[in-house]
Formats: sequence, C-alpha cells, structure tokens
Amino acid sequence: MNPSVLQRIASGDSAAVRDCIEQYGALVWSLARRLSRSPSDAEDATQEIFLDIWRSAGRFDAAQGSDKVFIAMIARRRLIDRLRKTSAEPPMDPVETLEAVAWADPGTASETSLEAEQATRALAELRPEQRQVLELGLLHGLTQSEIAARLQMPLGTVKSFMRRGLIRVREYMNVDAEGVLSEG
Amino acid sequence: MSERGPQDQPDEAMVDLLIKQVTDGLSPAEQRALDVLDSAVVSAHLRDFERAAAAIALAGSANAPPLPPDLAQRVARQAEQHFGAVAGADKPIELAAARSAAAARAPAAAPRSQAYGWLAAAACLVLAVVAWNRPPPQAPTAQVSPHPAAIPPETVRPPIVPPAPPTPAEERAALLAKADSLKVTFGATKDPAARGVSGDVVWDPATQRGFMRLAGLAPNDPSMHQYQLWIFDGGRDKRYPVDGGVFDIPANATEVVLPIRAALPVVSPKAFAVTIEKPGGVVVSGREHVVALGAAG
Repeated sequence: MNPSVLQRIASGDSAAVRDCIEQYGALVWSLARRLSRSPSDAEDATQEIFLDIWRSAGRFDAAQGSDKVFIAMIARRRLIDRLRKTSAEPPMDPVETLEAVAWADPGTASETSLEAEQATRALAELRPEQRQVLELGLLHGLTQSEIAARLQMPLGTVKSFMRRGLIRVREYMNVDAEGVLSEG
Repeated sequence: MSERGPQDQPDEAMVDLLIKQVTDGLSPAEQRALDVLDSAVVSAHLRDFERAAAAIALAGSANAPPLPPDLAQRVARQAEQHFGAVAGADKPIELAAARSAAAARAPAAAPRSQAYGWLAAAACLVLAVVAWNRPPPQAPTAQVSPHPAAIPPETVRPPIVPPAPPTPAEERAALLAKADSLKVTFGATKDPAARGVSGDVVWDPATQRGFMRLAGLAPNDPSMHQYQLWIFDGGRDKRYPVDGGVFDIPANATEVVLPIRAALPVVSPKAFAVTIEKPGGVVVSGREHVVALGAAG
C-alpha cells in the first residue's frame, strides 16, 4: 500500500508538500471561506491550517481514517478556535454561502472519501430541519444559539438535532457508537 | 477504533460539552468542566465527534473552488520556511519544487529571483533605520489627508480583527507592561505614501504575540492594495523575512492597533517593515513601497 501524502510529508518527502497543497488546497480553502469572518481572515486561516498540517503530519494514522478527514479535522479545529477568539458576529454571509453548499451525491461521495459517503448516507436519513441544523452549524460556523435564532427554534431542539445528527454519522462511521446515548 | 467498556461511555453532560466543542468551541468555564472529566474517555469520544463533523464537512464540500494561486504560493512559501527552519539553517531548502509548482499556477506572482532582492532590501532597511536615528514623527491627532500618491480611500473594510473585549489596544498595553516584551519604533521612509507615518511594534518573544500601532497611513481600498507587515528575524535567512500579515487601514482611522500574525516563530526580531502590496499580499515583496520600518535596539 502506497504511503499517504501525510505519511510522505512526515517522512521528509519534499514533493509531498506540493501534492498536499494541490490535493487538499480546495478543501481547506472551502472550509476557511465558510468559517471565517472576511476574505482576508480566510486567507490567514488557510495559512495557519497548512502550518498545522505540516506540524501534525507525523500524527496521522491511516487506521483512523483518510488523509482528507484528518485534514478537515485540523482545519475545523483551527477555524473554530479562530471564531471563538474573535467577536460574536457570525462568519461572513451565511445565507449567501448556504446556497453555495454542494452536497456530495450519495452515489458518488465515495470518490470524495469513504467518510463523506458515510456522512452523506447518514444525512439522507435525517429530517430536513435536522439536516439544516447540521448544515448551519458545521458548514457555516453558526453557533447553536445563532442557529436557534435564525430558525426560530428552541435552543434545546437545536442541541438535540445536532447531537442526533453527529451520533448518526458516528454510527455510520463504525466508531463504537453503541454506548453513546442511543437516540434517533 | 479501540474497544470501550461501559465505564468508558460518556454521560449526557459530557456529550453536550463534546458536541459544543466540536461545533462552537467551549467557553473557559465549559473547558474547565471538561478538564475534570476522565481525559482518556474525553479524548477518545472527542476524536470520534470531530471525525463525524469533518466527514459532514467533506460531504458538503463537493465542487469546492480551488485555492487561489497567490494563496497557494504563499502556503508553499510558508512550507518552505517551515521545513527549512526545521531542517536547520545550514541545510539547503528542499521544497523549492513545491514553491515552483505553486508559482507555475500563479503567473502574475513575483518571480523567484526577486527573493534575493530581500537581502538587499533588508540591508537597505537597516541602513535606513540607522540613518534615521532620531525620534519618529509625532502621531497625527486628526485624520490624515491621503497623499496624492497614496491609496484611494474607497470601499474600505474593517480592520482584520473585529473588536472584542479586550480590545487590541488593551492587549497591546498589557503586552507592553510585560518585562520581557520588546518595543520597536516605526519611522516613515522616503516613499511618498509614508509621509507622516509613525507607530511602533510591541512583541513578546515568549508567547510569540505582538501588536503594531500605526498612525498616518492612508486608508486603502482592499480591492486595489493592502498593507503587509514583514519581520526580519535574526534566526533566519535575511532573504526571507517572516510574513507578519496583511492588513487594511479604515477610512476614518487616525491610529490603528493590529495584532501581528506571524506565519512562523520569530526567534530574534531585528527589524519590522510595512509594504504596500496587491490584494492578499505577496510571497516576495518587490519593495516598491516600503512605508514604515523600524529596527530593534
């Protein structure tokens, strides 16, 4: 089995850095644009995320998931941290970017990654309002309180929808979901 | 995906905290509440929820737009600096291929040969600072009228960091009060756009945090030009100053205080410079417009 791009970076393969930027630049940029407060903020975030990737490549474990999901995890951590440290304003143009969300097709999501395929199948089982809560929270960076205000929905309901959705995706990803509050 | 027993299962309160961490981030109080729980259980379940959230993000990122070429080049350049620093200053930089590849996708970007211009630029900056070894101009108390050669003050957007308690000015003051912090005074240059510019940098080497205070810089139209800070680090090759971040000057600002976003750790800051660059900043400055500079002691 060929080493992943992250494993190649960790082993000192300089060409892997180029490959990583080419393969995952769009993913990082997409997440950064959605979870940042301005275009310049998104650019700063993108640079910070890639720096995190270079530093974290040695911790990547292929048995725990794909390169893509590892990089998306790093990106989300950094972006949430940045959002939390700045003002209470939501990320830029959540309504506008909402229209730009392109969900992977259930039939072709596996081309993106196995995890995307699993998430797509799990999301397809959710009610539209549950899915909308996940979309606003995970793709647009709105807090649970902001989602409640936007959808005029009780905060407890937002939390419940978010929890059920994430647990459902966990179950599809076969990560010991049995013991986590059996809901849904 | 290790086996977990019933004792390893999170309770409802822990799940709420974990999901909030994955979606919103935690407040200090919430973080403290999580810290007292079983760290092994927390970290295992946190990772699982992070993976689930990342998978949803992947599923919702089909047909993502490509990374802008300029930004790709900056990322490649940053990687070059990072791995060059990790490998040690004496070793040749091995990531030129990455940078070249990114540069190939960015035909408008500065050519690699310009990188060597920074060696001369750094020398010129230091010489200029020595030549201007006098008190900097007083910061203007009123709004500065843009110089004819300055950037048009149209369609100005807010500073790069929205105000939040504590304000950058307050954070700067706190940093300045620390015994180990470094203060470097900015002076103007002979560039027409630098007329009346003053300010300073406060930098804490221990935390790698810093703030720049600037007055007299003309408001900029971010769609046309942006300002960019550079940090000349004594621990690095002078040709490659550390990118300190791109920033804007709002229309009505007489003085701004902005956090420094150093892309890399700064070992021993020797000089700071502000240049005018194209939107988004550049990897290698052509140094046509150096509008503020300051040298450390």
